[in-house]
Amino acid sequence: MEQTKECAQMVGSLDRKERPVDHISKPSGPGDQESGPKRPETGSPSGDNLMKRMKKVDPKQAEKYRQRTGE
Amino acid sequence: MKNRIFGIETEYGLLIKTEETEVSPAWIARRIIQHLFGQKKLGVIDWHHRGHDEPPGNGGFLLNAGRMYVDMGHLEYASPECHSLWDLLAVDRAGDWLLQDCLEDLGLTELVSIMKNNIDHVTDATFGCHENYLVTREFPFTYEGLGLLMPFLVTRQVFTGAGRIGMARSAEGWVGLDDIKGRGGDRSRKSAEEAVIYQISQRPDYIVNDFFEWVQGNRAIVNTRDEPLADPERFRRLHLLMGDSNMAEETTLLKMGTTGLVLQLIEDGHAPTGLDFDDPVQTLRGISRDQKREWMVTLSTGQHLSALDIQEQFWEAANKHYAGQDEETDWVLTHWESVVKDLRKGYQAVVGRVDWASKLWLLENFREAEKLEWDDSWLKSLDLEYHNVDPQAGLYHGMTEEGDAPRFTTNELVNLSKVNPPRNTRAFGRSEIIGHVIKEGWADFLEKTAAHQDPRRPPYVINWSVLQLQDNPPFVMADPFRTYVKESRDYCTEGASPPIPEPLSNKQDK
Repeated sequence: MEQTKECAQMVGSLDRKERPVDHISKPSGPGDQESGPKRPETGSPSGDNLMKRMKKVDPKQAEKYRQRTGE
Repeated sequence: MKNRIFGIETEYGLLIKTEETEVSPAWIARRIIQHLFGQKKLGVIDWHHRGHDEPPGNGGFLLNAGRMYVDMGHLEYASPECHSLWDLLAVDRAGDWLLQDCLEDLGLTELVSIMKNNIDHVTDATFGCHENYLVTREFPFTYEGLGLLMPFLVTRQVFTGAGRIGMARSAEGWVGLDDIKGRGGDRSRKSAEEAVIYQISQRPDYIVNDFFEWVQGNRAIVNTRDEPLADPERFRRLHLLMGDSNMAEETTLLKMGTTGLVLQLIEDGHAPTGLDFDDPVQTLRGISRDQKREWMVTLSTGQHLSALDIQEQFWEAANKHYAGQDEETDWVLTHWESVVKDLRKGYQAVVGRVDWASKLWLLENFREAEKLEWDDSWLKSLDLEYHNVDPQAGLYHGMTEEGDAPRFTTNELVNLSKVNPPRNTRAFGRSEIIGHVIKEGWADFLEKTAAHQDPRRPPYVINWSVLQLQDNPPFVMADPFRTYVKESRDYCTEGASPPIPEPLSNKQDK
């Protein structure tokens, strides 16, 4: 019980609010008007920032990524 | 979330983009650790031997009460203990940012990228993202008890998987005789890869057991090592190593939140039964590799269900018993239901929320635009780039920038979490003591005092459940739910006065 009080006091005394920041905009994807995020527009790759980002990637970088096995 | 402490351990990959031979992942990892603790002073380096693979200077505890270190050649970040999922998300992202900040400070961004993934497409190496859930000592760590968890863990990858092109040749990247040139070439691998173009999860290829207590060479769906890092009479720590590193914020919250709720179902005797598999390991792999993404499984009873059906059964049980329990539980229940329903509509409905779907969507579009075959190395490079923690380069971060992947934390909170602990667990007390050590300059002791102090007796030892400052008795933090903030401040400011005595097993707290 004492611990609960302690926690409550600490949480209450600080600005950090423990709650989600829900930026989901609903709806939706193609053919889906109920839920889910908007499917990004990539019909025109040359005008799309994501496609530009992808084109900048070194096509051989996966071959340079020589990792050791971890856990 | 009720009665739960969460933690995530992430092993990062380092992509060296230069041909300069002196720039190796090990060298970069060492420079980052030195910069983080030596120059930026965002934590205190360990000057004591933590183990045979952790010599002095290998890493240290951070001001946010997490730990950054080198493990088996990988930079690894262990988050501080979190009672709240939102804190957990923020401190998990703070680890990414701490490392990226160091790269930028050191002027290494052109030479190196930090990747939060779990595989190497070429060497077949794997490295983990381990989840920790504090449970009571009474939790049924038996085949019967943990068996109830198994169907949930095997099927949750439909929304927790990070996705990958192809498959590993074999667990650990072992080379079979058939793979050796002159003995049939590498036909076996090639034919297997043709069959598995894209799978939804990165780790199933490397999981070879259902329950086991060690890690390398025998990775299990449930790691059964009994190392609570807390009062062993009251607590146990469920350690999972079969999950992927997640970039999507919603997935990070859902992975930890849904697993926490299923543990609660088991604790309370409400978990669905009759969902056992004869071979959970093969079922895990089969779901991940299913190219039709129907995810049908056969239960020990002979019944055929989809992974989504099984997730729905767990959701229904959790919703029945825990709806309204607290704000976080309700958030998890709502988003769990939503993602399972949306997955039935096709992967496009969860792009931005689920990593494997986001990555597949990016790859499909790029492949079509550039007219590439699935075995083109460019696509594997994009698969990797999805996990780049650099917000200016990483493909996941590109999606958030475009508003295509929802955020569930803020940049302000992540920045705050780089140097501040969660305030409602023992991480708070640990951080107070770490801050005191930095303020006193003890973290530099080898450089400053080597001439007159025995380096075998460092001025502090920091660990998860016990700390000790020079000339003081050990300071025990056996209960992760307590903050220990008053005691830790007294311990720092009152010099040699002993901490409040605490028996290892405090029965009154039960």
